[in-house]
Amino acid sequence: MSFFSTQNLTLGFGASEPLLSDVTFDLDPAQRLLICGATGAGKTTLMMALAGIIPKIIPNQSYSGRVSLEGRALSEMGNDALFSHIGFVAQTVEDQLWDLSVEDIIAFPLENRGVARAEVRDRVRDLMEQLELTELAGRRVLTLSGGERRMVVLAAALAPHPKVLVLDEPTTGLDPAARQRLCHALSQAAETVSSVIIAEQDPTHLASVTERLAILSKGTLSPIRPLRPALEETALWQDAGLLAPRRPARTRAAQSVGAELLGISNLRTKLTRASGKPVLDQLELTLREGEVLGVIGRNGAGKTTLMRSVLGLSPVASGEITLAGTRADGWTTARRARSIAYVPQSMRQILFHMTVAEEVRFALSMGDSHEEEETLLARYGLAGLGETNPFALSARQQGQLGLACADASGAVIAIIDEPLLARDLEGRALLEKFLERMTQAGRAVMLVSHDLELVDDVSTRLVIVGDGHIPFDGTCEDGWNSPAFAALGWPAPYAAQKECAE
Amino acid sequence: MTRLHDLNFFVKLAFAFALMTVAWFAPNWQYGVPFALLCLFGLWVTKVPKLRSYLKGAGLLTVMVIASWMVNLLLQGTAPLDALAIAAKMAARLVATTALFYFVMETSSPGAILAACSAARLPAIVTLVLSLTFGIIPMLRDEFERIADAQRARGMEIDNVGLVKKLRFALARGVPLLVQAIRTAHAISFSLTLYGFDLSRKRTTWREVGLMVEPHMSWKDKTR
Repeated sequence: MSFFSTQNLTLGFGASEPLLSDVTFDLDPAQRLLICGATGAGKTTLMMALAGIIPKIIPNQSYSGRVSLEGRALSEMGNDALFSHIGFVAQTVEDQLWDLSVEDIIAFPLENRGVARAEVRDRVRDLMEQLELTELAGRRVLTLSGGERRMVVLAAALAPHPKVLVLDEPTTGLDPAARQRLCHALSQAAETVSSVIIAEQDPTHLASVTERLAILSKGTLSPIRPLRPALEETALWQDAGLLAPRRPARTRAAQSVGAELLGISNLRTKLTRASGKPVLDQLELTLREGEVLGVIGRNGAGKTTLMRSVLGLSPVASGEITLAGTRADGWTTARRARSIAYVPQSMRQILFHMTVAEEVRFALSMGDSHEEEETLLARYGLAGLGETNPFALSARQQGQLGLACADASGAVIAIIDEPLLARDLEGRALLEKFLERMTQAGRAVMLVSHDLELVDDVSTRLVIVGDGHIPFDGTCEDGWNSPAFAALGWPAPYAAQKECAE
Repeated sequence: MTRLHDLNFFVKLAFAFALMTVAWFAPNWQYGVPFALLCLFGLWVTKVPKLRSYLKGAGLLTVMVIASWMVNLLLQGTAPLDALAIAAKMAARLVATTALFYFVMETSSPGAILAACSAARLPAIVTLVLSLTFGIIPMLRDEFERIADAQRARGMEIDNVGLVKKLRFALARGVPLLVQAIRTAHAISFSLTLYGFDLSRKRTTWREVGLMVEPHMSWKDKTR
């Protein structure tokens, strides 16, 4: 009898073809499985089925087959027993959170089960120390960054000492240091957690804590195989629509740049840190026509405040912001938005129309483009979805809609915050198409991301945000070798596979 | 004075009910209006967050209450000064009531309410209803503000426009707000199931709960 197994698991959502067909595998105790697949391959659905969420919380009429833990089918277990034995971290961690504090979220599974206070406190303390969350004590989770929220939800999943941990794209939004903490936490959890199943698009970050791999593609799961040799097989990853983990770094052609589109001089924000120091102080930055500016920095370094200050959403104490040579300090956010298109990590934040076509039409009304909505939508892989409600799109499609709207708006600058759609081949191609259109039209892009390989691949210039200002501004090559980057303690791009082993 | 924010939720609630009763028993506007102003002063002294937004709402409420009572009483033949006195008394009651419950709502996080209910060994259903009732309103209000920021960031001029246009744009926020409210409800329901919330079982809490509720864990003092 296997410790954890699936037999002929098949399920779908009403379409003629099931999303997952005949998924079968066995895991023995202490085995860790990495499941890789492109966006839309069915990873999230599979993870939910492996955690028992489908069909226990989300019923599925097409569900057939069996998922079992220690010989017992998950579908036959009571909710309480099931979710005590299986810890789950969703890709969209917001689905597991509401307006509680960090300690509340971690303690929640224990409090609900009536665990004594002293024991709850001990466990919360241990987990917060282990995952380096003590600085976040007392903070409401909805005020945390995406990466911080993910670590808190991981702590909550570990709190009741589960036998199996199911993690859906756990490195999403984590900076390299947080990824290292995640690897460390998973290694430590091995003392109590028997099996770990992780879905990811990029296998390199978690290579040190998993030893087996299965590829999910076109609704079927490949046989389980050793992970490390598979990392070298470029064709294996490309066939599954994924970026090959051992792909070589890209050589960039020299880029010609034009006039200054954005100038920030001596910027100081009103927003301050707990110490009273401004989040940004004496910050200088420029962005020129034809540039793709990669912006990196630790969580909390001030990247979001920089974006919000440029957009006029965060008050500025002093300094100067110019857009295409004109002082824009006194401009309203809406006026600035005619020059700056903003594509956030979660597009849900900025959608407010009833159809996709209306969203694009609104973006077109901001500029002077005469393109048809359908042409724009087709360019970004959304043909035929014009009448769909934007909130009914998948997160990936919403990201595509963000690019279409930024393109349609005609804004000379686009700020893209952590484009998660760029983690597989198809999404990367769409992003590169957008960047090419922007730069060739003499526009510019500010790309804020923790994905250093992406930044290295597509950026023409790199800035590092740290301690409220910009300690490095230059080429990517110089950036990865700079003292400012060394101070972050992050592995340089394309050395990421080593980061967990260190 | 911000230490008062950490008062036990039930103490705050009892305090608010007691003061509300005083406000409603004020015999005339000469007592009612100063008492309402005192409540507002209390909000300022205790540094209740987002007081400016509350004052805007309270101002609007006052104008609407006074106007509606004045119209009503004048139509019934009451003398204007008498009508104004009655309208001011009614407005003062409402301002005092909303101020007191604004303090309770704004300074009680869902976690602190959960803790107070759990420490009181209340049934799980009561715990849940109280936490959601008082917790969801600030959450949705923050969401409303965030959506307004998003509209601005997409180029909608919602600030330097007339009242009608402002209202129209505010209504446009209804769609994402509704979606967010549904998502929040789903997240709460999902997390309750996933994290073992059971109506038949009484919860415990990690917090120290007495007259005050411990706001966060301290790493300076390791004592439990």
